Amino acid sequence: MRSRSWLASLAAVLALAPSAVWASPAAAGPGGDPLVITVEPARQSAVIGDRVTIRAQVTNRAATPTDPLIAHLNVASLTGTYVDLEDWTAGPTQQVAPIGAGASANLSWDIQAVNTGSFDVYVVLLPNGAGSAGAGPLVTGAPSHLTVAGRRTLNAGGSLPIVIAMPLLLGALALAVRLRRRRS
Amino acid sequence: MAVAGQECRDLWLSGRGPLLLFAFSLLLSAFTYLAATNQAINFLEQREAVNLTLQIAVAVGVLVTLLVSADGISGERERGTLEGLLLTPVSRRVLVLGKLAAALTVWFATFVVSVPYIWVLGRGVSVVGQALLLSLVIGTVLAVGLAALGLLVSGLSASNKVSIAVSFFILLALFAPTQLPGGLPKGWFGDVLGRLNPVGAGLHYPTAILVNGHDWTQDLNYLIAPGVLVVLAIVPLTLLSDRIVQLEPGSVR
Repeated sequence: MRSRSWLASLAAVLALAPSAVWASPAAAGPGGDPLVITVEPARQSAVIGDRVTIRAQVTNRAATPTDPLIAHLNVASLTGTYVDLEDWTAGPTQQVAPIGAGASANLSWDIQAVNTGSFDVYVVLLPNGAGSAGAGPLVTGAPSHLTVAGRRTLNAGGSLPIVIAMPLLLGALALAVRLRRRRS
Repeated sequence: MAVAGQECRDLWLSGRGPLLLFAFSLLLSAFTYLAATNQAINFLEQREAVNLTLQIAVAVGVLVTLLVSADGISGERERGTLEGLLLTPVSRRVLVLGKLAAALTVWFATFVVSVPYIWVLGRGVSVVGQALLLSLVIGTVLAVGLAALGLLVSGLSASNKVSIAVSFFILLALFAPTQLPGGLPKGWFGDVLGRLNPVGAGLHYPTAILVNGHDWTQDLNYLIAPGVLVVLAIVPLTLLSDRIVQLEPGSVR
């Protein structure tokens, strides 16, 4: 009975092992600092063309300040849509000044939903200190899930009467004024 | 009032005003049709299309107003009609204010022409009212400031060509920064310059409200520069009216 429960515990530990391995880099940031990223909102919906704000709070839980950091926002499609990050935001990368022990830094990105589908928006922290630049591991947090619905685009046919009528009307008016002036 | 009425008759019954409006409507028609049909432009949303059309309508409306006012004094001088105008029993200040009012009718006419275009692009997304109000307010402030500046330039210029060239250059210099890609990093200096530029700051305000969904009060500081332009152009125009409304440029009575 005792050995059976021991085996069950071992099986449970082994089952959790992969998630523990993935969680480890997120807890230990650049330079070994325990940085934590909280991204908000966790979930939101938008219509194509809408602008949404992604906020991230980076907290340094270590007893020492961090190196300068770079926070990079990325958008990943969960539905196979091609994502060109430049279309979503012109400034995906932000410099983060060193964060003091126990302190936090607040970041935000205004992004524009330019594709329909289901997306995860996430933030990655990279070390950017003199000695830590180019080193890992990188830090990331939970993604913000974004669902983008389509929208009816403009009706070209509906604009045609105005597009044609206005110049015709004003052209006729200009001509009438000119003719009247010539006669008088 | 009588001077403004006479100036308006000269502008609109001579055929110059209607011709400018016709050209303006051709431009807006082409732009509206492109905005409504071009996939690269309209794949986003109607608010963007409404904002783009509003920006074009305000920028071109203000440009036309500036050019009309730039012709106001130097043009009369060259056509030999200023002498007759100076015989009118009103002060020079009233003369320039009448010319300013007449030039502003061009702006109001371009605004009226832009209404159906903005309506056709914005119907269904409830931004038409907001867009028209923003266009009227921002455009009127910019038109008053730039028309007064155009009259000042016109009065001080040696010839009509110089007046129109200088006014056109001023408008281009103010308008060019608004065409820089929005994503370019500007830094604090670029941000300050953007807020100091009355045209750039004025055109930023409708974008913030219509496209970015900001509150009306959130970006009010962008309206400081257009307001300052009005004061900086109107005050010297009225104070220097005796000097600038002369048969010879720069001569003192």
